[in-house]
Amino acid sequence: MMRKILKNEWTVKIGSAVIALAAFCMLWQAVTVFTGMGDFLPGPAETFAEFFRRFVKPYGKAVLPMHMWSSLRRILIGYTVASAVAIVLGIVMGTYRIADAIVMPLFNIIRPIPPVAWIPLAILWFGIGDASKYFLVFLATFLSVLQNAYAGARSADPVLVGAARMLGANDGFIFRTITLPCAVPYIFSGLQNGLTAAWGQVVASEMIRSSAGVGWIIIRGMDNNDILQELVGILTIGIIGFILAASMRGVEAKLCRWTTRGK
Amino acid sequence: MNDMKVRVKSLTKKFGDLLVLDDISFDVKKGQFLCVVGPTGCGKTTFLNCITRLYEPTSGEILVDGEPVDLRKHNVSYIFQEYSTMPWLTVEENVAFGLRIKKKPEAEIKESVDEVIEMVGLQKFRNYYPSQLSASMLQRVVIARAFATKPDILLMDEPYGQLDIELRFKLEDELIGLWKKLGTTIIFITHNIEEAVYISEDILILTNKPTTIKQMMANPLSRPRVVTEKRFIEVREQVTELIKWW
Repeated sequence: MMRKILKNEWTVKIGSAVIALAAFCMLWQAVTVFTGMGDFLPGPAETFAEFFRRFVKPYGKAVLPMHMWSSLRRILIGYTVASAVAIVLGIVMGTYRIADAIVMPLFNIIRPIPPVAWIPLAILWFGIGDASKYFLVFLATFLSVLQNAYAGARSADPVLVGAARMLGANDGFIFRTITLPCAVPYIFSGLQNGLTAAWGQVVASEMIRSSAGVGWIIIRGMDNNDILQELVGILTIGIIGFILAASMRGVEAKLCRWTTRGK
Repeated sequence: MNDMKVRVKSLTKKFGDLLVLDDISFDVKKGQFLCVVGPTGCGKTTFLNCITRLYEPTSGEILVDGEPVDLRKHNVSYIFQEYSTMPWLTVEENVAFGLRIKKKPEAEIKESVDEVIEMVGLQKFRNYYPSQLSASMLQRVVIARAFATKPDILLMDEPYGQLDIELRFKLEDELIGLWKKLGTTIIFITHNIEEAVYISEDILILTNKPTTIKQMMANPLSRPRVVTEKRFIEVREQVTELIKWW
């Protein structure tokens, strides 16, 4: 019976995740009960209860779902535009040497700069409203996705390209049927990394200047010395990030059924 | 003359100062199963790459049906040493790949794919991805893809080099069956003399670099062939003697 349960991949995955989460919460609870940290660190039960309470009781002028939406909207706009531009540019750079030669030096200079370093300039260029946040999310996503799309386009196996050419395929056919499919798993890696970077960037920018959003919840919690509020903000980031990453993996599994990651 | 499928005339290929192919001339008849053997590194693959125009010959010419070879015009298929299945396509889609390049109608694609998949015994695996297949199945998919396009010429570059002996024998028999059924002109490169004697109708023996033709030999064995029979061993030893460069 036990062997049968362990053979089911999903049962093992979900079971392991539940056990790991339960162990983490128990450790967290133990720390708050048995150590001095309990004086200022709320336990998991209190944090989760506050998380759900804030669905109806506002932080500032908005309830928690509205703050989530503020952050998500900033991410979705910046992330979507950046991903689209980076995928196209990365593939063009990976396919055409001249595009690579023109863009790569610039990219290599911009890539090592942490996106948070652009915050002052973003505020100067785009003001303290949402436009600067879109820009910062765009930048964080763009760098990550471009790098992967570029690597993906260059990963086309020469044996496969040769096989297609022998069968009479022209450049357009090879691009559509070999270069693009080869690039897809790399692009998804870039999109996953880009999502993490975008979250980090939106929270950082909201912490600096905003009136709503998950980053704002955390920074306002810090200002008011309200650790429970900070923990709710952190928990919210974790939950939304998890849902977005899982959704992305679902799409990847559909589009990349042939890869190990897609299985 | 009308029987002639491929005519190689004074083919010479140099890479810088390195002379690889030195004034090679021979003919391949329509429906001929020719094996090209020679010492390792003698330029067998270079020769195939000249036929497919992957490399431009330094001098000389290769004619197919009396005209300079042109991959857009002549239906040439090439099977590499490496497995060249597309990982993102199922077996069925892989087999149809060449036909889609040639923009064949869907009905014809379906018919050809069904026929060839059955010939190579992959009916049960038609919806599998390459990552779910064994090495011999992968090479069968590639062979099926090549035959599905009904090529005028099939070029094979040590296609079974990576397989163990049992699978190699099995696929060699399958290939002979397909060749007999479809009458395709096949140029098969191998360094395995036993393989060459087993499958070929004619054997082209090349010398060490700079490569010239040592001998074009008609295979005297009738089919079916048994590798342990005295006559088979004699022919194999005869080819071995011709190929020896040491």
